Amino acid sequence: MAAILEPYIYEGGIHKHTLITELLEDLGGYLIQKVPAATEVTLVMLIPRDDVHLIEELGKKLLGKLTRAPLTGTEIAIVSPTLASHHLPHSACDVAEFMRRGGSNTNMIGLARGMGRRVSLSDNYERKLINEHDLAVFSFGTFSDCIKNKKPKLLEGIIIPKIVAGGPIDLKTEDVANADLYVGGIGRVAHRMRKSGELSALDILLEKVVGVVEKMREDLAKDPLAVLPARVMKEIHEQIPEIFDVFSPAPVTLQLDGLRVKLPYEQFHEKVEGLEFDEGVKLSDMADITLSKMKNYILVKIKRESEVGFTA
Amino acid sequence: MESLETFIVESTVPEEGDAYKGIVADIITELVLGGAIGRIKVVVRPEDSLYLMAVILRGSQPTVKVSDMASIEVSNYLKNELTISIEQEKYLPDLLEKLWARYGRTKVYQPERNTLKMNAEDVNAEVEFLKDMVVADPRSTLQSRLVEMAIRATPEGFRVRYHSMDGHRFVFAASEDILKPEWIQEAQDIAKELMEDE
Repeated sequence: MAAILEPYIYEGGIHKHTLITELLEDLGGYLIQKVPAATEVTLVMLIPRDDVHLIEELGKKLLGKLTRAPLTGTEIAIVSPTLASHHLPHSACDVAEFMRRGGSNTNMIGLARGMGRRVSLSDNYERKLINEHDLAVFSFGTFSDCIKNKKPKLLEGIIIPKIVAGGPIDLKTEDVANADLYVGGIGRVAHRMRKSGELSALDILLEKVVGVVEKMREDLAKDPLAVLPARVMKEIHEQIPEIFDVFSPAPVTLQLDGLRVKLPYEQFHEKVEGLEFDEGVKLSDMADITLSKMKNYILVKIKRESEVGFTA
Repeated sequence: MESLETFIVESTVPEEGDAYKGIVADIITELVLGGAIGRIKVVVRPEDSLYLMAVILRGSQPTVKVSDMASIEVSNYLKNELTISIEQEKYLPDLLEKLWARYGRTKVYQPERNTLKMNAEDVNAEVEFLKDMVVADPRSTLQSRLVEMAIRATPEGFRVRYHSMDGHRFVFAASEDILKPEWIQEAQDIAKELMEDE
């Protein structure tokens, strides 16, 4: 395996920021996402562990800031019971915002019929869509009775780690059936979360999500992927130039064990399957390439080394 | 009655009631109902899927006539022209809607922000008519804002609703299942209790 990569976010001025991306390329790191906003730019990147100080020094010279972003390369689903004003935009969007600050790419998912107690239910399609992500954060409400007795049925059929955010602070993870983790203090609110108590609850949530992701990475390291998702992304950038015409903020979204390519499946799946690597193998030898449940995107799930027999 | 002199939100678990009070308070602020509500009490019982709310309104505001927000005079007898000079601009859009409906959009001249001119055959009768024309009825928008508030404050799944508006008293009940008569009675009792505080 190549050098160990560390996830970082660089925030700084757009002036001369290409120096950073050039250095990153020379060091063998990967630029995962670039978000320019007027005169500022945010770079999400994976840097080889031994060379982090080089980027840090250059960043300092350019008056930018380099911070560790432990959720980089993950795609998280933030699930809200419905899209109505009762559940959105607060607090689910605040949760998503904090996940993005951790470096993650987030998708907001509002269920069609998730509201209520007895009547709430989730659809097979919704469950499949959520299962395409690395993990899901469910944003529930204020009442412990609902979270304990009624809402856990929305978690059924979800096979990825499920984290529940809700209002009551004294609930325990064991009280919420099917949940892998419960975090309190983030219930239904009708304003943007900005009070100190609310923000610290979001910080705690981020911390716990990072813990879960780190555990998932450890599990992954035991039987590593046949190829790094970041490397596949680089090959897509080099071999499928159409990716640069995609307007989505993250045309290629990394996941812990794969990636989502935001190109139409019918037109491009053969090109993605045929991606060539220096070792002389194709992507289709190392990954399952399927039609994503999200629009008609391409979903790539990379197989493990034990299954493929080699790593690229 | 002061505005919001009683504001109680009760739930089975007291802390959850306090959290819910924050939601109701935010919604009241959002819909600018703070000045209109005198007393409010909300009871939420999640285990019964039940939401009850009683609101006592403060004295209702009177309707706004043209003469309350503008002065009207005949400005030119030869041309049969009358002029409305606006004094309270906040009702201008409502007034324009009404005038456009009456005279036609092209026949209401607005040479300047606070001046409206139009023609009529019998100008004196027209002035008398316009003086008494109702421009805005705060009561009707208040009622719709109250209903909006009730819907926003209720947990979303509680789609079976009951509401009644009787003078100053607004009673609301919502549930996921068929509403039991005793729940509606309970909501009415809460309202009665609030009235007795006077």
